[in-house]
Amino acid sequence: MEEGEETRKFEPKILAFTCNWSSYSSADQAGISRTFYPPNVQIIRVMCAGRVDPLFVVKAFLNGADGVIIAGCHPNYCRYSGGNRQAEIRVKFLKMLMEEIGVDPARLRIEWISAMEGGRFAQVVQEMVGELKKMGPLLLRK
Amino acid sequence: MSEANLNQEPRIGIFLCDCGTNISSIIDVPQVIEASKGISGVKFVERDSSLCSSAGTKKIRETIERSGVDRVVFAGCSPKNYGSLFESVCQKAGINRYLVAFANIREQCAWAHQDRPKEATIKAINTVQMAAARLQKSEPLQELEIEVHPSTLIIGGGISGMTAALCLANQGFSVLLVEREPDIGGMLNKLYKLYLTNQEVSEILNPVIQSVRNHKNIRILTSASVREVEGYFGDFEVTISVNGGTEKFRAGTIILATGAGTFEPFGMYGYGKHEGVVTQLELEQILKQGKLKHLEKVVMIQCVGAREEKGLTYCSRICCMVAIKNATLIKKLYPDCEVYIIYRDLQTYGKENEEYQSKARELGIRFIEYTPERRPEVFPNGNGKVGVRVYHALLGETLTINSDLVVLSTPLIPNADGKEIAKILKVPLGPDGFFKEAYMEMRSTAFGVNGIYVCGTAQGPKSIDESITQAYAAAALAAIPMQQKKVKIPAMTAEVNEELCIGCQLCLDLCPVHAITFAEGKSMVIEAICRGCGTCAAACPSKAIAVKGFKDEQILAEVEAALK
Amino acid sequence: MDGKEGVLIIGGGIAGIQAALDVADQGVKAYVVESTPSVGGHMAMLDKTFPTLDCSACILTPKMVDVGRHPNVELLTYSEVRKVKREGRGFEVEIVKKPRYVDISKCTGCGVCARYCPVEVSDDFNAGMDVRKAIYVPFPQAVPLKYTIDEEHCIRCELCKRICESIGAGAVNFDQVAEEVNLNVGAIIIATGYKPFDVRQKKAYGYGKYPNVLTALELERLLSAAGPTAGHILRRSDGCIPKRVAFVQCVGSRDSHHGYPYCSRVCCMYAIKDSILLKEHIPDVDVTIFYMDIRTYGKGFEELYQRAKEEFKVRFRRGRVARIYEIPETHNLVVRVEDTETGEILQEEFEMVVLSVGLAPADGIAELSKILEVPLDEYGYIEGADAKIDTVSTKVPGVFVAGTALSPKDVPDSVSEASAAAMKAVTFLRGRK
Repeated sequence: MEEGEETRKFEPKILAFTCNWSSYSSADQAGISRTFYPPNVQIIRVMCAGRVDPLFVVKAFLNGADGVIIAGCHPNYCRYSGGNRQAEIRVKFLKMLMEEIGVDPARLRIEWISAMEGGRFAQVVQEMVGELKKMGPLLLRK
Repeated sequence: MSEANLNQEPRIGIFLCDCGTNISSIIDVPQVIEASKGISGVKFVERDSSLCSSAGTKKIRETIERSGVDRVVFAGCSPKNYGSLFESVCQKAGINRYLVAFANIREQCAWAHQDRPKEATIKAINTVQMAAARLQKSEPLQELEIEVHPSTLIIGGGISGMTAALCLANQGFSVLLVEREPDIGGMLNKLYKLYLTNQEVSEILNPVIQSVRNHKNIRILTSASVREVEGYFGDFEVTISVNGGTEKFRAGTIILATGAGTFEPFGMYGYGKHEGVVTQLELEQILKQGKLKHLEKVVMIQCVGAREEKGLTYCSRICCMVAIKNATLIKKLYPDCEVYIIYRDLQTYGKENEEYQSKARELGIRFIEYTPERRPEVFPNGNGKVGVRVYHALLGETLTINSDLVVLSTPLIPNADGKEIAKILKVPLGPDGFFKEAYMEMRSTAFGVNGIYVCGTAQGPKSIDESITQAYAAAALAAIPMQQKKVKIPAMTAEVNEELCIGCQLCLDLCPVHAITFAEGKSMVIEAICRGCGTCAAACPSKAIAVKGFKDEQILAEVEAALK
Repeated sequence: MDGKEGVLIIGGGIAGIQAALDVADQGVKAYVVESTPSVGGHMAMLDKTFPTLDCSACILTPKMVDVGRHPNVELLTYSEVRKVKREGRGFEVEIVKKPRYVDISKCTGCGVCARYCPVEVSDDFNAGMDVRKAIYVPFPQAVPLKYTIDEEHCIRCELCKRICESIGAGAVNFDQVAEEVNLNVGAIIIATGYKPFDVRQKKAYGYGKYPNVLTALELERLLSAAGPTAGHILRRSDGCIPKRVAFVQCVGSRDSHHGYPYCSRVCCMYAIKDSILLKEHIPDVDVTIFYMDIRTYGKGFEELYQRAKEEFKVRFRRGRVARIYEIPETHNLVVRVEDTETGEILQEEFEMVVLSVGLAPADGIAELSKILEVPLDEYGYIEGADAKIDTVSTKVPGVFVAGTALSPKDVPDSVSEASAAAMKAVTFLRGRK
């Protein structure tokens, strides 16, 4: 399903599900401190990483996302005590599924980023854009 | 007034704040405005330079009222800054606050991509589209208002429980104080004198007990224990077993003040084998009864059973001060008695405690350090007495002290009832066995569950003044919702569609606050307890659970719009 | 709204903020008077808190935002209490709002003015290790997020005014004067915080002379990703990463000669915290803590101490540091310490030394005590009513105290006291016992 050839000047599209209490703020922090990162990422706010249904990830890929990031609070700091862990479990499952159907599991990333770690947020996005550029577009669109 | 009608097409208004030059110097604002006008359902796109100012909020209100839109997008700085302010302004202008969405085009766009203005502009357009798409699928939501019954159940009649009881009773709330023992007073009943002031416990304890007994708003049940707690914050239904029967009590809030027990160091340093080895608490009883015979040498050993690698890993906070107090009392009784305190680290923290320690040294009390690798040893010394050998690092030699009495400073331990109560109230215990507060730094008296608070040594070892302070803090937390009489629960709670629910019960265990119940083959969310995290919704295999305000449709609409 | 008058809270640090929220949530008006341009206090300067190693700003800023938005809270920042007079059971208070020269109803916090301001001033928020402009916001999460002109350093070039006008806000106003605000309140809570002990008094440690000797607060700023070095720990002398760091405990505390005889209560834990953070930033760094006692009395404290020892291999040496010397060529430091366990005198070389500085009473507290007629204790802190049963009341009925204004303590205990003081203040206000 994955196209092997690389389109020229390919700009990967990344969707980031961020948790209201931590990673959403970290993205704000990156902006406040003018830590630039590539504009390839669009951010969707949820209350907890645990809200992220595997369905959202699948739909994201089907709609044209080349990469998906789920960013939540560090372990033990989840405001709802454990939503982030649930997200982690789901990501493991999703990656297995992705492997099965021939989608590189590296296209899905789960990260723990606290509210003040703007630099980390920017770094994750930067890294992912770099990796996705090498992998090429996913092209799973129906 | 513009009211959202689910049958009508959404009428969306967009406010775009360029934040002075902050946004407009990077993003091509006119381009964003043009593109936004083209979004289906959008009735206006209003530009401003400072929506957050008083002039700005006035403009928001007027524009909404004039235009008849039923939902609004704010494109500008992060909703973390003025999100609730804008929601309130919209609410006042007749827009349901759950029909307000935000497009973060400053922190997460203009500022983050300052080096790529063209792409930032495209992203900004996209971000606004996402917010509008979300709104298309949004519904007006009503916040649940729960009534908070002006009564508190306090479990535990020690100094913390009594302090909280008096505080709340003085505010006019009804308090039921449930005490397991035949008498209230708790641990303080067993103490003799208190450190820092060296005053007798009765000086502090008796007035408090009197006030509690005489207060018209406080009802005391002794030899009683809580059997069951049903219901939720604002309306707890409590079942108490007392006098061989049960009683029911309706409480708006609950305060846990169940205190702590003391560690019995059987097998350590000869305790239990020799008469001449006692705990500090036992020493207090002896002193209280005036039964301390003349002693020549007393050795106190600190950290007995505490600060261990396995077992009780924590420091019990007060034992050093207790030891110094009892040492001081002994010295005052028998000035020629040699008193040694063998310690690992002297926890005489803070302003007054350090001074108390200095005074003890001035009295001639001797302090000897030991390390966990090289602990003091005891040996039988005839007549039930026990001597102590301790390595004195500074002198470089082992001292042998032929003590008449060895006193072991042992830690406070979690109450034996702790596990039971934790289950009944559905509150967590920490790895140390004490109740686990929700936010260690910021709210040591609160749990993640609303309406239940903790104070005193039930939460962890602490001194009497610290317990009292915490009791006031817990009372404050309980008083707030009871004062307000009604509490609004944010409407973003989970909801089960019974038709779709297959009764797998996956959601029940996942819920971190136990807000989901199961009856007649279907799950049901207790709205008043739900915190809206959405973990249940994401797990439901039949998509029977929706989180209001964060429905699948809303999030997927954003996903789709993001990737167009 | 219940309670015709309100509660005055002097000080907008974590204790003041918590007290304000707890008062306001009970339907009583809370006035917060803060002498700096923003609430937040010292906690805003910290990188992480102990024992959870949670991000300090992450847990503080939501509270700051709450207090800034609460319908029952009025923030009077950049203001001071001038006079207090007893009025029946309550108080008549005179507050002075110092001129910011910025109209906060017009300022959007956009920051363009600061970009053009030509004056650089030592930045207190970054413990003097960075600069800010004469027109400034103390830190990006300030509440209120409004600019202030530091009168002392402003050169009146008025560039800020012109720029602000040109972007349409016109918030800079040099005609602003100090404003007097008179309030009637039913109770007062003192939450004025602390100031770090002036470590220059301890000359033997070389602070101020040797570039690689810093205070723990300075280290805190270096550790912070939002600090002057973006989270990189670098030596002041050569910008290199230190590989051998020492912490010296009890600086200005438990010291009857230089400083205060009491224990500042937080330094053991913050040194343990900082040593772990240092190890996280510089994995191969060697950290040694020279201490008198390790005070791990709080919940989770001992466990963090054990982690520092076992997991992060932080060295703990019991000993009082007598002197610190510098090696001029390398700017390394030699720490001379008497190991109280063995009695040896040791000399060890380090590339950086962090002084765990104790807490001292805040500036202006003596004056405040006169204004409120509240006695101070022998060290200069506000005196609590009763050390055993009522620490948060003072000897003056209706005046309460919480946090480090009362005595040195950590964040959890300050928050507890703040809530307790709020409860007592509201009870007092309502005429009940």
